[in-house]
Amino acid sequence: MYLIKNGILHAGDGSIPKQMDILTEGGKIKKIGEQLSEEGAEVINVTGCHVFPGFIDPHSVIGAMGIPGRYMDHNEATNPITPEMNIRYSIDPDEVNAQEFYKSGITAVGLTPGNTNVMGGQIAVYKTAPAKMSERTVKDGAALKCSVTEDVKRTYGERKQIPKTRMGIFYLMKEAIRGAKTTGPEERSTAQQVICDVFEEKKMPVFVAANTKGEIDGILHMFAEEKIQMCLTEAFCFSDCIEEMKRSKAGLILGNINNMSQIAKNRMDISRIRELVDNGNLIAFSNTNGGSSEGREVFLWNAIEVYRAGVPAEEIVKMMTANPAKMLGVDDRLGTLEEGKDADISVFTAHPVTSYAARVRHSIINGEVIF
Amino acid sequence: MERILIKNGILCTMAEDEDYRKGDILIEDGKIKAIADSLDDDGAKIIDASSYYVMPGLVDAHTHIGLFDFNASASVDDANEMTDPVTAGVDARYGVNPKAREFEVCYRNGITTLLITPGSGNVFCGQAFAAKTYGDNIFDMTLKAPCAVKIALGGNPKNTYGDMKRLPMTRMGVAQVLWETFRKAKQYLEDKESGKNPAYDADMEGIIPALKGEIPCKIHCTQYDMLTAIEVATAFGVHFSLEHAWGATDYLDEIVESGCDVCYGPIATYRCPGERRKIDVEAVKLLDDRGVNVAIITDSPILSEESLYHHIGEAVREGLSQKRAMRMVTINPARIIGAEERIGSLEIGKDADIILVKGKLGLDTDAEVQCTIIDGKIVYEKS
Repeated sequence: MYLIKNGILHAGDGSIPKQMDILTEGGKIKKIGEQLSEEGAEVINVTGCHVFPGFIDPHSVIGAMGIPGRYMDHNEATNPITPEMNIRYSIDPDEVNAQEFYKSGITAVGLTPGNTNVMGGQIAVYKTAPAKMSERTVKDGAALKCSVTEDVKRTYGERKQIPKTRMGIFYLMKEAIRGAKTTGPEERSTAQQVICDVFEEKKMPVFVAANTKGEIDGILHMFAEEKIQMCLTEAFCFSDCIEEMKRSKAGLILGNINNMSQIAKNRMDISRIRELVDNGNLIAFSNTNGGSSEGREVFLWNAIEVYRAGVPAEEIVKMMTANPAKMLGVDDRLGTLEEGKDADISVFTAHPVTSYAARVRHSIINGEVIF
Repeated sequence: MERILIKNGILCTMAEDEDYRKGDILIEDGKIKAIADSLDDDGAKIIDASSYYVMPGLVDAHTHIGLFDFNASASVDDANEMTDPVTAGVDARYGVNPKAREFEVCYRNGITTLLITPGSGNVFCGQAFAAKTYGDNIFDMTLKAPCAVKIALGGNPKNTYGDMKRLPMTRMGVAQVLWETFRKAKQYLEDKESGKNPAYDADMEGIIPALKGEIPCKIHCTQYDMLTAIEVATAFGVHFSLEHAWGATDYLDEIVESGCDVCYGPIATYRCPGERRKIDVEAVKLLDDRGVNVAIITDSPILSEESLYHHIGEAVREGLSQKRAMRMVTINPARIIGAEERIGSLEIGKDADIILVKGKLGLDTDAEVQCTIIDGKIVYEKS
């Protein structure tokens, strides 16, 4: 049992931060309140510190790449339609540990297939800290990863295989869904069963990598009638597609904008994110760009760029916590500091959205003090 | 050109041992004419800098802007003449796209001078140069050319030539190419100076200024490759800087003893065994404490130029004081470029490359440049 005392608590739901204590027991938050005390609990005094729900990066390939390896474990680039692939089998705990995600306050990641396939496979939510492997997987089959980016046509086009063009990418996407829906349950392949789980039973949301206006408009148009929960990942041209995004209410998992100078390259207007926030679109941040991921620091760098563009700090805290938890369907356990939820807690010496001096003082994952 | 008087700002001159203080700066003919607590405007255009920090324009000492062009519909790599491990003579100025959008991003964010260098695909990669970020002709924008000989160790050159089944395929091979090329260049110089009249060799000519101590070698290396760089550069008596220098915390003594400079960055890459095993931005403080001249760099556009703020911020997060961090993006890189008589600090006679900043760069995440002046001309003003 730990009693985290006197911190300024940011619940993650946008409520005004205030000084509160948190009592944890085992892997869960037992109680939140003012001036708590509990016999037998180890006291961690965090006076003056800012206490957040552990941050969540819902879209990372690092952790499932299998470095070093001749073929990376997150891209089953042998067929553009592989929804049945489950990233859980590719997770390398050492690779996750080496990133030290928790030093940037990140306590859970959505490990995902890359961008090479139109349907790449299923995303798994995984805790970032050393603990028993079996206790680190929060949920597998959390979302279906898809991609309509140039990575697909480069991969298959080079082999003179469909898809070589964006027309080909969208053709395969449409045919895969139509084919699955029109095949009886007894005749369906494993892949087709997964597609029906997603597009008919709505058992998991869809995350689609799309960058250019053509790619974003295209996938929003194709999926408009599907009535599924959907997020765009990377989406560096989102500011050119605001009306379409508002209409669709699709979520936005903003990719690593700093890699390859996306703001300059795409003439991004980050401030337009405010329109999506006002419209109720969920926003989150990812370390990924072009289907590959960079280090833990870029998560906060994305948050800072959105803060610089005029979004209030506490709204941004939601984008790092409650929003990605909802997108991944794990908000029953993660994303806010609430009694009964997982004890994933990041304690910073200052507010990391407003001050570069903010360091993680403590990281607690599954109720275990990592440092 | 109009005279400009910047009034009432908090002057961060970067002059040695000078504290921040309130004052005025007068600009005339593109240069800093006067600095004082209070100056008469005498007809000059007045910029009210109350509550802003007045700093030298920022300097990034390791970029490939215009050489790696991601703005085109197909990616362009004009940074790497990967057709021979030794291309010391190629001149980066001729590879730059002056219309690259990143130049505008630079001066809007207060970065006024870049060192633009060939990539790291070869062992001897070519001639780097320094340029101001505003203008449309790279030769007119050039401040100093050449300002360094670019050298690269490690995975990049050995992957380029390993794929071609040519030397170097290994780190042993890279070290041999480094030694042999320097030996050949030293012999070439001796032959020239003793009247032997060797056949003209453009690559050897490219290395001579480094052998003579006129320009430094800029050596791309990480982790234990830093020891190779120090060993060979020291043997030939060249001035040098270690570029990227990931893992420097493991080699502090060797770096300090060698007397070299360090250009640290970019940071925030994923971690994995090998070159990316240790990305230790805390090294910049440890090296600075021990008297090493350290610059913080982005390797743009591979990371964005505007991420220079995040880089400074991460160094501050790891314990560097914000004031020392400011030197790592102004006077320190100016010295590494060899242009400190013109840029890097607010001193009378230097180029009027000046920025006005609201908030503290590297501490306040929303610190913002309000105005950028290059060579005495206002190139950006926040509306």
